[in-house]
Amino acid sequence: MKQILIEKSVLENNDKAAAENRAFLNAQKAFTINLMGSPGSGKTSVLENIISSISLNYNMAIIEGDLYTAKDAARIARCNTNVIQINTAGACHLDASMVRKALSHIDTKHLDFLIIENIGNLVCPASYDLGEDIKVVVMSVTEGNDKPLKYPSMFQRCSAVILNKTDLLPMTDFNIEEFYQDVYSLNENVKVFEISCKDGTGVTSLTRFLMGAIRNKKDV
Amino acid sequence: MHELSIIYNVIEIAKEYAEKNSLKKIDKINMSIGEFCCLQEDSLHFAFEGLQKGTLCENAKLHIEVQEAQAYCKNCNLEFKISFTDKLCPYCNAFSHQIMTGYEILVASIEGE
Ligand SMILES: Nc1nc2c(ncn2[C@@H]2O[C@H](COP(=O)(O)OP(=O)(O)OP(=O)(O)O)[C@@H](O)[C@H]2O)c(=O)[nH]1
Ligand SMILES: [Mg+2]
Ligand SMILES: [Zn+2]
Repeated sequence: MKQILIEKSVLENNDKAAAENRAFLNAQKAFTINLMGSPGSGKTSVLENIISSISLNYNMAIIEGDLYTAKDAARIARCNTNVIQINTAGACHLDASMVRKALSHIDTKHLDFLIIENIGNLVCPASYDLGEDIKVVVMSVTEGNDKPLKYPSMFQRCSAVILNKTDLLPMTDFNIEEFYQDVYSLNENVKVFEISCKDGTGVTSLTRFLMGAIRNKKDV
Repeated sequence: MHELSIIYNVIEIAKEYAEKNSLKKIDKINMSIGEFCCLQEDSLHFAFEGLQKGTLCENAKLHIEVQEAQAYCKNCNLEFKISFTDKLCPYCNAFSHQIMTGYEILVASIEGE
């Protein structure tokens, strides 16, 4: 019997592809977000709300990940933005090689801002680095305020949480104090944006944060 | 949910190293996973039973060791054990986001002949 020491990361291939994506996007100085969250939390709605004001100032592109259909890409295309749809046909997360392939199909010359909308799922996407600058989670008040502690990995690894559908707060038992307590216990440095895609509340402070980050990346 | 693709890669790595070291069969695969990586051990074993058939690992056992999560405190220059909801340094009480271990998913070693 022989024992062979390996100590090799199972995600090594993904991490290599992610590092290549990151090098490519850094060379373009394109600020990149990995946008995650449960199905229906409002990821695409958030994009629809921020595109018009950001694209006045910056060149942006969007990669849409879904298991099936190009419905989200069609919604984004209506906002006059570069968009490409990835269909994973069942896979529960995007990986870095899918993003690399998608990047080869979009015009990345002069790109300032790339958003990758991941598959609606609060678990698996958190483990796969895509080459992004930051991870952002969209969570909606109708999901209940216990989600950060039930799905801690994603909330722990993200830089910002967008709490969406605040227009529905009066209709739910969402406990906002508990929500902040839980999120900060996982990640003290996280930024939280309360927004409603329905009535536009909070959208301006989110776009201000994003444009600041885009500008910072241009300046480095 | 992605346990199946994780195990697929585990078996690929095991086969690669078995070949390099001229093993004819693999008896055991030792995996090491961090407690933050959100993999379900039962699902890993279930996926392994499905995918090992017809490979060098046909009769192999999968052993999984869970590594505790640790963060680094830059005030105190030391590493300490953390959980999802407790990342405060036990000495200076500062929150640390510098997670050193907890996310890794490794093939640690294989045994065979
Ligand atoms: N009331 C209310 N409804 C919203 C809000 N934001 C989104 N919705 C609705 O929530 C539903 C899901 O929104 P999407 O933007 O498609 O969600 P998603 O996260 O992109 O969904 P998937 O891509 O399928 O995972 C839609 O019917 C939206 O109209 C909001 O702020 N308030
Ligand atoms: Mg969507
Ligand atoms: Zn300390």
